Amino acid sequence: MNIVVCMKETPSTTAEKSFSPDMRLERRKEDAIPNPFDEYAIEEGLRQQEKHAGSTVTILCMGPATATDTVRKALAMGGDRGVLVSDDALAGSDAISTAHVLAAALKKIGFDLVIFGNAAADAYGGIVPSATAELLGAPLLSYASKLDVDGSTATIERQADIGYNTVAAPMPTLVSVVKAINEPRYPSMKGIMASKKKPLDTFALADLGIDPATVGAAGAREKALSAEKVSTQRKGEIFIGNEGAADRVVAFLVEQKVL
Amino acid sequence: MFFRLSDEQREIQHAVRDFAQHEIAPHAERWDEESYFPRELFRPLAEMGLAGLLVSEELGGTGLSRLTGAVIYEEIGKADMSTAVWLSVHNMVTGLIAKFGDDEQRQRWTPRMAGGEMLGAFALSEAHAGSDAANLRATATRDGDSYVLNGTKFWVTSAGVADVYVAFLRTSDDGARGTTAFIIEKDTPGFSIGKRERKMGLHSSPTGELIFERCRVPLANRLGAEGEGLKIALSSLDGGRINIGAIATGVAQAALDVSTRYAQERTAFGRAIGGFEGIQFMLADMAMKVEAGRLLVYQAAFKMDEGDPVGQYAAMAKCFATDSAMAVTTDAVQVLGGAGYVRDWPVERYMRDVKVAQIFEGTSQIQRLVIARALLGDAAKER
Repeated sequence: MNIVVCMKETPSTTAEKSFSPDMRLERRKEDAIPNPFDEYAIEEGLRQQEKHAGSTVTILCMGPATATDTVRKALAMGGDRGVLVSDDALAGSDAISTAHVLAAALKKIGFDLVIFGNAAADAYGGIVPSATAELLGAPLLSYASKLDVDGSTATIERQADIGYNTVAAPMPTLVSVVKAINEPRYPSMKGIMASKKKPLDTFALADLGIDPATVGAAGAREKALSAEKVSTQRKGEIFIGNEGAADRVVAFLVEQKVL
Repeated sequence: MFFRLSDEQREIQHAVRDFAQHEIAPHAERWDEESYFPRELFRPLAEMGLAGLLVSEELGGTGLSRLTGAVIYEEIGKADMSTAVWLSVHNMVTGLIAKFGDDEQRQRWTPRMAGGEMLGAFALSEAHAGSDAANLRATATRDGDSYVLNGTKFWVTSAGVADVYVAFLRTSDDGARGTTAFIIEKDTPGFSIGKRERKMGLHSSPTGELIFERCRVPLANRLGAEGEGLKIALSSLDGGRINIGAIATGVAQAALDVSTRYAQERTAFGRAIGGFEGIQFMLADMAMKVEAGRLLVYQAAFKMDEGDPVGQYAAMAKCFATDSAMAVTTDAVQVLGGAGYVRDWPVERYMRDVKVAQIFEGTSQIQRLVIARALLGDAAKER
């Protein structure tokens, strides 16, 4: 089975975020990490590889040229090779452009199973998996908390309000996973050392036959207008005294559906 | 001149930090409180490749440099000194078997030790002989194709929880050449565990006594030649000292981090206590000590990797980093005031734990002797 895991490079969740005048997130190489949500996708790819002998896992990433380091970080967890799509014209790409690029790269690489994290920790759009599936004309099994691949069928469990839905699709298929699906492994010392020696190809737009005018800032249909820090205000309520305080606490808990 | 870890070392640092902060640090307080030895941690540590640091890949290890090892121990020490200590002892013992064992011994023990199945322990000290390692009393007497062991070992890290013990016993009266190393598995008849020490700190790393009573060990369990014991024991000394320096640096860094955060958040007289010069100067001194200790540790590890003579540098690193860590953790308690003295905050544990770093693997006084002798040569010798 040819497994491809799509991974985005994102700034570390603890890194100080800043924006350029044209409202792009400023990315510093030293803060770059594999999107934490994608670690679950990588882990799932590796587990499927362990279950299905002879499978290969490719880590596919679209990002700046320096993202090779981030792809290698992902490869330290496991996997056979990395593919980075990088081109100056890709800067400022929106979700749809990203999906176009990933779809073209996936066609070029070939795949039976493509796994995504359900969103990226920077913009948190969550659109790319479905857009990519649409462009490829392939099914998407979204928000999987369990994945089974049996012959030519992939089956997932999708958490619902009560219980879960079981959804199946014929292969080749795309899957997006949620955190509940697994516990990502820590990279081992050997994995880190081996990651340096794994093949890592870089594709430019020309390699994928994509017109630069249709992607990046030039082709973006999405425009960030402004960004503000989220300010959280705790609105605590304090009930004091014996007179009715217990009743009010009980009423509050009932209101919150705790009781 | 190097002043930057390699990309690989930084990745290893991040991976170990990530593991230690998620899998170790959140439990350290409870483990300390309950004197609980977290055996369940051993396998995941081994899966990451941290249980065979000094063992080649063919024998199941990772064969990393001493400098990378120092980076690793600092990160684990930052999360929990107890864990870092038993892990470093295990790695040392696994490394000794890989280095001094014959092929059969290597194949028999190192893959299982590096793989997280068997935990290693090291038994050199005796009741009357700590720093004076040439003066051991426990004996091993050759009897046909086996040895009969008698006597007691003290201060053994992981006593009672380890599976494999490398112990040093007297095989003749020939002073330094009268000591021999043996590999002893836990259920060997005649071998038992004595009392577990009730220590000031390092609660989740058990320390205890080994008792040998007519304990028969086959010749195949002798590590190295007869009389080579002290050489084997001493071979691990410099590396062990560097590791303890690294662990202490991690504890000191953790204490500094907590103190800094506390000084930013805690207010008194209408301002953060970090606004007061008295606190600022303490934090500045703490930060200098941590950085200087780390640099000495890195330098000693680097020299060891280069194959340079490292004795006095390992002594400096160990002595300075551990003395500094004691000062820094003590000051951390002071910065936190009442909060520092109670167990809701980790700094009192740091202070209790790190005290022993000035004592084991050669006291701070022994390290100063080593340094002075390197400086003075014959002039430092007693007449």
